[in-house]
Amino acid sequence: MTAEEVLAKALAKFPRADKADPVKDYPTLRVSAGDLLGLVRYLKELGFSYLDMVSAVDWKGPVSREGFVRAPGFNALRREASAQAAAAPAAGFRCRDEMTVVYCLTHPSEKLKVFLKTDLPREGGRLPSLAGLFKAADWQEREVFDLFGIVFEGHPDLRKILTPAFLQGHPLRKDYAHVKDRFD
Amino acid sequence: MTRTPPAVPTRSAHKTDQLFVNMGPQHPSTHGVLRVGLTIEGEVIVKAEPDIGYLHRGTEKLLETRTYPQGVVFSDRWDYCSAMTNNLAFSLAVERLMGVQAPPRADALRVIHCELQRIASHLLFVGTYGIDIGAATPFLHTFREREMILDLFEMSSGARLTYNHIRIGGVAADITPEWAAKAREFLAYFKPRLCEYDTLLTYNPIFLDRTQGIGVISAETALAWGLSGPNLRASGVPYDVRKWAPHCGYEGYPFEMALGKAGDCFDRYHCRVREMRESAKIVEAALEGLPEGEVMAKIPKLLKPAPGEAYAHVEGSRGDLGIYVVSDGTAMPYRLHVRAPSFANLAIVQELFVGQKLADVIAMLGSLDIVLGEVDR
Repeated sequence: MTAEEVLAKALAKFPRADKADPVKDYPTLRVSAGDLLGLVRYLKELGFSYLDMVSAVDWKGPVSREGFVRAPGFNALRREASAQAAAAPAAGFRCRDEMTVVYCLTHPSEKLKVFLKTDLPREGGRLPSLAGLFKAADWQEREVFDLFGIVFEGHPDLRKILTPAFLQGHPLRKDYAHVKDRFD
Repeated sequence: MTRTPPAVPTRSAHKTDQLFVNMGPQHPSTHGVLRVGLTIEGEVIVKAEPDIGYLHRGTEKLLETRTYPQGVVFSDRWDYCSAMTNNLAFSLAVERLMGVQAPPRADALRVIHCELQRIASHLLFVGTYGIDIGAATPFLHTFREREMILDLFEMSSGARLTYNHIRIGGVAADITPEWAAKAREFLAYFKPRLCEYDTLLTYNPIFLDRTQGIGVISAETALAWGLSGPNLRASGVPYDVRKWAPHCGYEGYPFEMALGKAGDCFDRYHCRVREMRESAKIVEAALEGLPEGEVMAKIPKLLKPAPGEAYAHVEGSRGDLGIYVVSDGTAMPYRLHVRAPSFANLAIVQELFVGQKLADVIAMLGSLDIVLGEVDR
């Protein structure tokens, strides 16, 4: 089984899925939130029995000034140039009110990896949880929930995992602003 | 009128009362700051809730405001017991993003350093695992050897724990002939020591009693929880990134995967001991066939990869370490995610501990060989 065959099989079964901007050298599929669970279940039947990674990307553009806990100092940039100034030329690049959740599934014996991407709105984004199919999704989805605020429906125990309970907001969102707490 | 007596509470279905035992976060056997909330019934655990995040430094967020070469420094701090492999994973991801290939000599040096790092990391495991179980002597022996590797690293990179040695495009510095001689000397000294560990710890009846048949993880369970590295191979799954998707020319080195059968604590321990022998073989072969040439590819001073996404994974000391990086065309990563092996390896604790004895918790937790710096990032 090659990567192309997997893609062709998955696309034949789920016509609404599409090839996405590829993660370099790996087959990558874009799938809607509704089709996600079905596609992952189908891939698992094909032998993708190992969930490697669940992560997300926020496309809200460069980091806001308030997002910094401390002043950034860059060796490679002029001293007065802030991170925003450096990121400014690319400010409009891909900047949109969307987040993408990225899944990586592995076929251990065929030596294949496939990436799945699901776009969802930044506010009120919900996805079906994969925890019923892969136990590895348990903590990784909790991490995405904690750091991005994406809700995984059907997750058995969706709680914060890395950040302390008093922390407000979701740190890996691009518009995250740090609220001063007793440790500052 | 007589007063009605208060209702006698009915006995619950449980035979004994449940007791909540708090372990950590400052427990010596957690190797860092991990808290596990254990609910026990008598001596048997009925629920285990690991509580992590005490070491969360938000490196993924910090990296979004640092340039790519600065990111290598952050990678040192994920798994601080195995910083070389972290450097390598980060560098490979950025190299793949930019379409850069490290020169052959740099690849060989990366292999040498990563395998020495694997030995150092496994030595740390063997020593501390012995202490966890109650054998204090092996610790002194393994740390004596680990010290020699750290000396080698100090010679080549200038640091003992956080190296920043493997960089984007190659390695920071070439090795000297004296370094190669010292490395060979170390290997000659080290290989007989492995037999010494076997007599000290591996076949010690007390050690065997405490580890054999304890904390058994089947191959299916291991795959479902996303275990990787020696923990997965101990369950008999032949998954090693060095064989699975060879990077840095690993396909050219002769080594075998150390596989376990039972998937118990002893197998996880023994897989690591056997892996050290294989790593020593790789270092020997790499030193033997070290190609001449540059150790750094021609890369620009200010790295600005074209917009895109890349994923690279390596076999770290604790498992499959993956880096997912998104570039928006600027000098800093737009988003970088670390697929940390310890994070996945620790999650299984919720299932593994249930039904086991409280006294075996230390043996099971130690055998997973987690590093909290990587769990929390």
